[in-house]
Amino acid sequence: MDESLIIKLDNIIKRYEMGENQVLALDDISLEIKKNEYVAIMGPSGSGKTTLMSIIGCLDTPSSGTYYLDGENVEVMDDNELADVRNRKIGFVFQTFNLLPRENCIKNVELPLIYAGVKADQREELAIQALKNVGLEDRMFHKPPELSGGQRQRVAVARALVNNPSIILADEPTGNLDTKTGDEIMKLFHKLWQSGHTIILVTHEEDIALNAKRIIRLRDGKIIDDYVNTHQILIEDQKNI
Amino acid sequence: MEKLLDTIRQAFDSIRTQKLRAFLTILSIVIGVFAIMFAGSLVSSINSTINQQLSALGENTFYITRMPSINIGGGHQGRLYWMRPHLDIRQFQKFATRMQDVAIVTAITGSSGFVVKAGNLSTDPDVSLVGTDDKYFLTSNQEILEGRALTPTDIQYNRKVAIIGNDIIVKIFPRENPIGKEIRINNRPFTVIGILKPQGALMGQSQDNQIIIPVNLFLINFASRWEQDLTFVVRSPDKISLSSTIDEAVGNLRIIRNLKPYELNNFELETNESLSEQFASLTGYLSYFGVFSGVIALLSAGIGITNIMYISVKERTREIGIRKAVGATKRWIVFHFIFETVVITTLGGIFGIIVGFGFSAAFGLILGTKITLSVQWTLISLIVSIALGLISGVFPAWRAASLNPVDALRYE
Ligand SMILES: Nc1ncnc2c1ncn2[C@@H]1O[C@H](COP(=O)(O)OP(=O)(O)O)[C@@H](O)[C@H]1O
Ligand SMILES: [Mg+2]
Repeated sequence: MDESLIIKLDNIIKRYEMGENQVLALDDISLEIKKNEYVAIMGPSGSGKTTLMSIIGCLDTPSSGTYYLDGENVEVMDDNELADVRNRKIGFVFQTFNLLPRENCIKNVELPLIYAGVKADQREELAIQALKNVGLEDRMFHKPPELSGGQRQRVAVARALVNNPSIILADEPTGNLDTKTGDEIMKLFHKLWQSGHTIILVTHEEDIALNAKRIIRLRDGKIIDDYVNTHQILIEDQKNI
Repeated sequence: MEKLLDTIRQAFDSIRTQKLRAFLTILSIVIGVFAIMFAGSLVSSINSTINQQLSALGENTFYITRMPSINIGGGHQGRLYWMRPHLDIRQFQKFATRMQDVAIVTAITGSSGFVVKAGNLSTDPDVSLVGTDDKYFLTSNQEILEGRALTPTDIQYNRKVAIIGNDIIVKIFPRENPIGKEIRINNRPFTVIGILKPQGALMGQSQDNQIIIPVNLFLINFASRWEQDLTFVVRSPDKISLSSTIDEAVGNLRIIRNLKPYELNNFELETNESLSEQFASLTGYLSYFGVFSGVIALLSAGIGITNIMYISVKERTREIGIRKAVGATKRWIVFHFIFETVVITTLGGIFGIIVGFGFSAAFGLILGTKITLSVQWTLISLIVSIALGLISGVFPAWRAASLNPVDALRYE
């Protein structure tokens, strides 16, 4: 297998049983993503984006097909091994932030480190570092309800990168943000990509997708398009102005 | 340590979001633990008090009564007891004559609720009256403080004399020495000849609110025809001769009662040993009852806690989803929720122990005996509380751990 491949999906099918009805959320998806790619997954609502992301992120398992993550077959892993893979290799950023509302930013960011078995003082150090990386050093002791949407999403990004995972999975990370804050989050992703992470970004907004280097389009659980984003350079030029 | 504090805080969060339910649940843990602990402590205190008292009576003394002092149950055996003849004064006189070379024997009877007056002062209607004879002070641990005991002639001529306890003196002779004075027991006149040495209280009952009079006078004046029942007290000279004295006593009473060899004894023989055994079985029932009600309360507490934790898991579905997404294993989640449950039940248990301590102390004051709280029962209560948490936490914890992270994150 190609050393640089980090994600390899072969004929992935995901079916949801809804009583009598069956929903085919993913219909025979095959996909390869290399290390340090920046991919946007696009498609209308209900096209299977979130389902695909859940499978890539090992939050869910496919009905059939095989998935190699970093050369390892995910199919044969048990619950505890999957938890471990999520902990070490993947950082999630969700549309709804998914922070623990009763914990302050440091505690939220520390969470993956707890399950990684990192010692308490080292945990705090790493969490503070991650919060600095997303520009939140002055909000570290605040709890999520005291923060703006953009700030919350930064905490989520800090949590996603604190364990230094190879892949960052973001499902509509700007969906609950205004354009300006959304752009700031996208700058963060750009930075993460530059520092070597693999970024997979789910979105249905064209201009957000244009931040990625590669765009995959889904419809009805199928990949209908997969191409290199040629507008990318233009956007980057705009950013540099 | 930090993790412990964290979990305790989360346990409190679980409690805070469902105050009433948590209150009721912790209350039932408190009741359960309290019942177990209190029953255990009470029973061991009663036992030690009784044993103390019994051994004070002396190892050489035994009693003959119509029925066993503690008669649990009833039924057929109970009816048989009631059909036995009374131990009356005639039998006692014959018995005393037959036993006079072997042992000291005396007869005791009594009842309570008497009013005693001197001049225009009066006691409450709560005085205990004991009818006995001149040998009484040779067989009991009571002593004369002042004056004299009953004499054979007092008994022979049914002299209206009385030996009175300190509580009565306090009430009706506040300023004078009662010896030689006249008192009226339920309006019958008696002359005070002696004062009993104060003994204090036993199981909340003052031992000094007592009057001793000749046995015959008691039977004539204060006992109805069907109350002419005595307890024969026999004191053998030493411990070695106790069993031969018992044999002798039983034999003599059988002769007096004309029992055929094939007939069973129609009276009861009680030694200190048999009495403490009877008390032990009574307190045994008490402790079973305490433990039983404790277990019931704890069972309902367990159900309550399981419920609280289920609701807590449901409310925290999203949190569990987040934790799983960032790497919490099943094992970790199971451990976390069980631990949280144990924190709640242990807190309840500690409350229960504190309440138990309080109640036992209060009860001890009321009864006038020291209730010793055994370390053993405190430990048992604590262990039971922890076990309760472990058991009632299992199902909610398992539910939490088996949540599918995708569904949990979707949960609103
Ligand atoms: N847990 C589920 N149970 C049943 N159907 C589901 C479930 N999750 C997603 N689906 C269905 O699968 C399809 C894809 O959903 P999703 O991956 O969420 O799409 P997207 O994220 O692109 O909007 C939709 O038709 C959706 O209704
Ligand atoms: Mg979606």
